[in-house]
Amino acid sequence: MLEVKNLVFAYPDQEAPWNFQFSVVPGQCIAIHGASGSGKSTLMNLLAGFLEPQSGDILWQGQSLRHRAPWQRPMTSVFQEHNLFEHLSVEANIGLGIHPGLKLTPEGQQAIEHGLQSVGLAGFGKRLPGDLSGGQRQRVALLRTILRQQPVMLLDEPLTGLDSDTRDLLRQLLLEQKALGSLIVLASHDEEDRRILADSVCSL
Amino acid sequence: MNLRHSAPFSRPAWRLWPGLAIAGALLVLAMAGLGALVWEASLPGLSELWRSRYLRTVITFTVWQAFLSVVLSLLVAIPVARVLARQPVFPGRIVLLRLMELSLVLPSIVAVSGLVSVYGRQGWLTGFANNWLGASWNLYGINGIVLAHVFFNAPLAARILLQAIESAPASQLRVAAQLGLGRWWYWRAVEWPAVKPVMPGLAALVFTLCFTSFAIVMTLGGGPAATTIEVAIYQSLRFEFDAGQAALLAMVQLVICGFLWWLAARHGLTASLLPDRRVASHRNKAGSSLWARLGDGAVLGVFVQFLAAPLMAILLRGLPGMGSAFFPKGSFSVNPALLDATLRSLAIALPAGLMSVSAALLILACGTTASRPAMTRLTDVAAYLPLMVPPLVLGTGLFLLFRPSLGNSCEGLILVTLINAMMALPFVLQMLRGPMGSLDSASRHQADQLGVLGWYRWRWLHWPRMRRPLALAMAYGTGLSLGDFGVIALFGSPGQPTLPVLLYQQLGSYRIDAAAATGLWLVLLLLMLFSLFSRLGSPLFNAGLASKSSRTVPEPEHA
Repeated sequence: MLEVKNLVFAYPDQEAPWNFQFSVVPGQCIAIHGASGSGKSTLMNLLAGFLEPQSGDILWQGQSLRHRAPWQRPMTSVFQEHNLFEHLSVEANIGLGIHPGLKLTPEGQQAIEHGLQSVGLAGFGKRLPGDLSGGQRQRVALLRTILRQQPVMLLDEPLTGLDSDTRDLLRQLLLEQKALGSLIVLASHDEEDRRILADSVCSL
Repeated sequence: MNLRHSAPFSRPAWRLWPGLAIAGALLVLAMAGLGALVWEASLPGLSELWRSRYLRTVITFTVWQAFLSVVLSLLVAIPVARVLARQPVFPGRIVLLRLMELSLVLPSIVAVSGLVSVYGRQGWLTGFANNWLGASWNLYGINGIVLAHVFFNAPLAARILLQAIESAPASQLRVAAQLGLGRWWYWRAVEWPAVKPVMPGLAALVFTLCFTSFAIVMTLGGGPAATTIEVAIYQSLRFEFDAGQAALLAMVQLVICGFLWWLAARHGLTASLLPDRRVASHRNKAGSSLWARLGDGAVLGVFVQFLAAPLMAILLRGLPGMGSAFFPKGSFSVNPALLDATLRSLAIALPAGLMSVSAALLILACGTTASRPAMTRLTDVAAYLPLMVPPLVLGTGLFLLFRPSLGNSCEGLILVTLINAMMALPFVLQMLRGPMGSLDSASRHQADQLGVLGWYRWRWLHWPRMRRPLALAMAYGTGLSLGDFGVIALFGSPGQPTLPVLLYQQLGSYRIDAAAATGLWLVLLLLMLFSLFSRLGSPLFNAGLASKSSRTVPEPEHA
């Protein structure tokens, strides 16, 4: 179970600090809902370890993650944009999720090929992210997230601005992951995303 | 979890301590060098500075010529930068920009020979001025020193100012274009706000380069009335064996340059002081009319003439003698003196370049990792220290320090290599600072989460961005050392010259044709090195698994 306990954070010029609190169990999706500037992305960054909270704790399976570096946390993120390294090919971007030094076994390479096929990007492996559309980039980012096999997925507006076909495809992939036991924290403005994917909603 | 694939060298200590050790070593070396000089010599009292007429003259002249050089360099650089910004497209623009960058590494002893050909007693322009304008011009003395300093620094300053103007916010450029601002208002509204932040650092850089200039003053100085601190230090050490006076002068230089950099740092030194390799372009009304273009053309024409004439002189004078310089008197074997000097120069310059680039990388890695402000300050001070401590003083101090064991010429050359590497460090650091910090926060977050740390981060994220800047920095570091005629003049043995020393010896013995050929060979060698490193920096194979037909890595900033 992922537990967020009285997680307090404020930016230097912010008067009232945020205080986050919720819990989710594996195989479920919690949607974080709120207006712009309500702290959705900040919460995602706190969970991922990119920001340091002032107080409170994040527990995973009863163990504190508070002082763990981002790479030591059981989490993987997809943001609305800037998910890919622009100078690396699609295959390399995905491969870094499997091994951080890109030392891929034949099985790893096969997983990338199958994955690309499953998200409708067969033959795109050698391309650079700059050659892809927004929807294709998000599919690559999500595929890397899936292949990383981390138990918690942090998704910050991952479907915003995509065409309806791509949204349907990605929603389907996320539902499959949930069914396989992934815990999803989804920050989204979109009511339909929340309705289809979320089991609970946390309003900020 | 990616913990099972922990990256080599991923602990922060790997990024922190090597750079910190190098920065500390630089400080210790500089202080030890200066300290050894003070310790060994009987340091004259401070009152000597105002009692000795010679010292007073030297210090006053050094400050005055540096001040004049800064003012004139900027007076040339500002209109040239504005014209280049106004005229983003014309044939030869890129060649001109590259030529302007080259002035940083063009060996001063070679450039001086070109300047002498144009402005010397028998020079092309001197003849014209004396015969047609009735003017009497003498290159030797302050005229020549300032002219040479402007020749070296105005192109560099113009290139940096152009970069600043081109980096003005696009929204401002659009508004200015839409309003059809005239030249004066365009300068006030767009160009001045863009160049203003660069000015303190740029002025400090040009002042320091002119203040510590050695080869130019040695060759064009012409007597005690036109001697700078750096040359006076050389004379004290080499001819008067007065280490105390050298130490005193070195401290004066350290105080003046240090104060200047402190002032510049207080006014913000965040702007890059080395040319960006990107060529941006924008149009404004001020540069679009026929008269405006004619006026701009005239400014550029004069500037190109000023820049190219000495280079042409080097080429035209050197070319006829190249054959006999390499194969003397019809011999089929290469001239051993030239070959030895070339190999000796490369044996010093290549390791010096490699050392300066390695040290710069480690210092930058440390600067970005260090959490304590004192550590960051230490790396900054160490980075700029070589600009303030005269290399001659440093070398002499270290020579005195290691004297019992530093005996043969080979060890002297090692010392020269070390000091050349230190001298190149501030420039190399400036070149690599931008690309090293070009990883945006989103990419850093992604990399952190994926565990792409340590060696893996360098290999997959930094290296593709750094490859070109590293090659360019290596070229600059090597080039600066290749053209060095300061440290080598003191420690080199006359029987084992490098190319600049050979050139100086040939000039001294009036073998002008041989000197011209050696000068041209030195410039060609420099160009070959730049070309080689540029080739090494280009992606032979694409990073990651990208196909060769895909786009290459975007050119990083400040490259």
